[in-house]
Amino acid sequence: MKTLQIFDPALCCSTGVCGVDVDQALVQFSADVDWARQQGASVERFNLAQEPLAFAGNPVVKGFLERSGAEALPLVLLDGEVALAGRYPARAEIARWLGLADVAPDAPKPCCSGSKCC
Amino acid sequence: MQFLEALPRFVFFTGKGGVGKTSIACATAIDLAARGRRVLLVSTDPASNVGQVFGVEIGNRITPIPAVPNLSALEIDPQAAAQAYRDRIVGPVRGLLPDSVVKGVEEQLSGACTTEIAAFDEFTGLLVDSSLTHDYQHIVFDTAPTGHTIRLLQLPGAWSGFLEAGKGDASCLGPLAGLEKQRSQYKAAVDALADGARTRLVLVARAQQATLREVARTHDELAAIGIDRQFLVINGLLPAGEAEDGAAQDPLAAAIFAREQAALAAMPAGLASLPTDRIALKPFNLVGLDALRQLFAPADVCPTDDVAPVSPPAAPDIAGLVDGIAADGHGLVMLMGKGGVGKTTLAAAVAVELARRGLPVHLTTSDPAAHLAETLEGSLDQLTVSRIDPAAETERYRQHVLDTQGAKLDAQGRALLEEDLRSPCTEEIAVFQAFSRIIREAGRKFVVMDTAPTGHTLLLLDATGAYHREIMRQMGSGIAHFTTPMMQLQDPQRTKVLIVTLAETTPVLEAANLQADLRRAGIEPWAWVINNSVAAAGPRSTLLRRRARNELAEIENVAARHAARYALVPLLRHEPVGVERLCQMVRRTQANQGA
Repeated sequence: MKTLQIFDPALCCSTGVCGVDVDQALVQFSADVDWARQQGASVERFNLAQEPLAFAGNPVVKGFLERSGAEALPLVLLDGEVALAGRYPARAEIARWLGLADVAPDAPKPCCSGSKCC
Repeated sequence: MQFLEALPRFVFFTGKGGVGKTSIACATAIDLAARGRRVLLVSTDPASNVGQVFGVEIGNRITPIPAVPNLSALEIDPQAAAQAYRDRIVGPVRGLLPDSVVKGVEEQLSGACTTEIAAFDEFTGLLVDSSLTHDYQHIVFDTAPTGHTIRLLQLPGAWSGFLEAGKGDASCLGPLAGLEKQRSQYKAAVDALADGARTRLVLVARAQQATLREVARTHDELAAIGIDRQFLVINGLLPAGEAEDGAAQDPLAAAIFAREQAALAAMPAGLASLPTDRIALKPFNLVGLDALRQLFAPADVCPTDDVAPVSPPAAPDIAGLVDGIAADGHGLVMLMGKGGVGKTTLAAAVAVELARRGLPVHLTTSDPAAHLAETLEGSLDQLTVSRIDPAAETERYRQHVLDTQGAKLDAQGRALLEEDLRSPCTEEIAVFQAFSRIIREAGRKFVVMDTAPTGHTLLLLDATGAYHREIMRQMGSGIAHFTTPMMQLQDPQRTKVLIVTLAETTPVLEAANLQADLRRAGIEPWAWVINNSVAAAGPRSTLLRRRARNELAEIENVAARHAARYALVPLLRHEPVGVERLCQMVRRTQANQGA
């Protein structure tokens, strides 16, 4: 089974309620991660504000931050390789990458409002 | 003192800054020790003078107090705890990640929540059985964690795999990622807090309406999570004798006495049923062991020595500040300070004075008591008054989030989201959002607000650009030149922040912290206002004269160290309701004259 790693921007809450407007994409993504885990997938999430060491310790992520800055997060790695950056993946994408059966194809597309909340 | 009877092992004192929690905690510890109990006193007061009181350097380790047998003490500095905590998370990546990234992370961890959680982390170990504490029969804390913190720690969802696995996506509890202890230890600490057999919570308040309202809120919040055996202490009451004897000579003392008694008579329902102790204002300073030993003694037992009259300090008044504000013709004026310092009244005074000078003003207030806004509405040609209800705004925001974003979450996720929405930040953001609709008017008239967002909130909003985007959306795209709210707040020509405080040690310290927080966001407070000054009111009663004399050092402190410019407002005999009395407040020479 492949491993999906998500490097979140510095969020004080993963639900992002402390932002001016709560980011629907973020809340949806949190739900999608739960779903994928329930399917037995290996999904790890790292919050820049909580585990910066995970960012610094991964050459791919560190290089990404140096090039593009924290503003360009989130960064999604599939087995250590960049799969996506700048937005959260939709449930269909997660399912495809991890070879899961996407039982709920109605997941809305992430909107353009970016990823950061607080 | 009822709260001292059958005291369980842990005692927490809670209440807003400056009500005397630390003094009462010290006096409690001394009292217990004198009765032969082995006591540990834990102070988190940033202005802690516990070491001074006992004549020992204490600091962040348990230190025996030679002058008081059976007593040891420990000082926890919440700011230092928060800094240590930030260093633990950020330190290892400094130099490894780009500076801008590191700075962003530090800001995330610079809020009030982090400070509170870090302080809680520090004293968690004292609440569970350990070799550190088993010697002590009582542990006395001069502070208590908020309901929000305790509720977060109680939520199973917040913890799922969090500390154990070292990863996860828990929410506001994010700050807990940097904590070192095991979840079981936090659970034991929270259990101890909620157990009436082991813990007593004592609310400390002054006999002032606003303060009592706030304490009632704390009471309800903590009672709702099972901490329901609470006690109440009303501190610093003006004794009846002082008012009776002094009535002829000091109408101010009589007025304060009447106001305090009225506030007590109108005590919020939740508080009225609590076992309550009253501690009279003392005719001596609460410094030193002897003074603290007498804190719980009846008022008439205490020796009184006469205090020479204090001549009111020659300090500027609000009229002087308004001169500077009026010169620009328009702009945003925000009053900032802790609850109960009189922000709303001062905002009204500034607005009324501007309007009286023929300038167009919009006064907007979040004061839960609507009477002020109501009495001013329509009273002056140039004055518009509007009111924002913080509870309603917060509820609307909460409901919006739960209906939209919360709809798809499972029960645990939803519980976590709901708790996130109860954080103090949520209210601050909801209220500020409501205000920001009005702020735009400040380009053509004066807008006076009785609240302001903290620098921390502004930085977070600005750093992520969320606020910026929101404004872009509101303004419509295609506008090339515009000012973001952050830029507007940073520009002293457009925005003047007035910091409101009282002439007492802790309130001044708290105000200085607010100022430092705003400065981090690039906002320089324009002036300070010292409200309710007894010294400025020229009291005649001995008790009030002593308070007046104590104020002088703090006034000097504000003038010399903290404020670019400042104004001093006397404690008034009458509530400044209505245009006439507000105007009196603006000019020192007119204050307290007339009936």
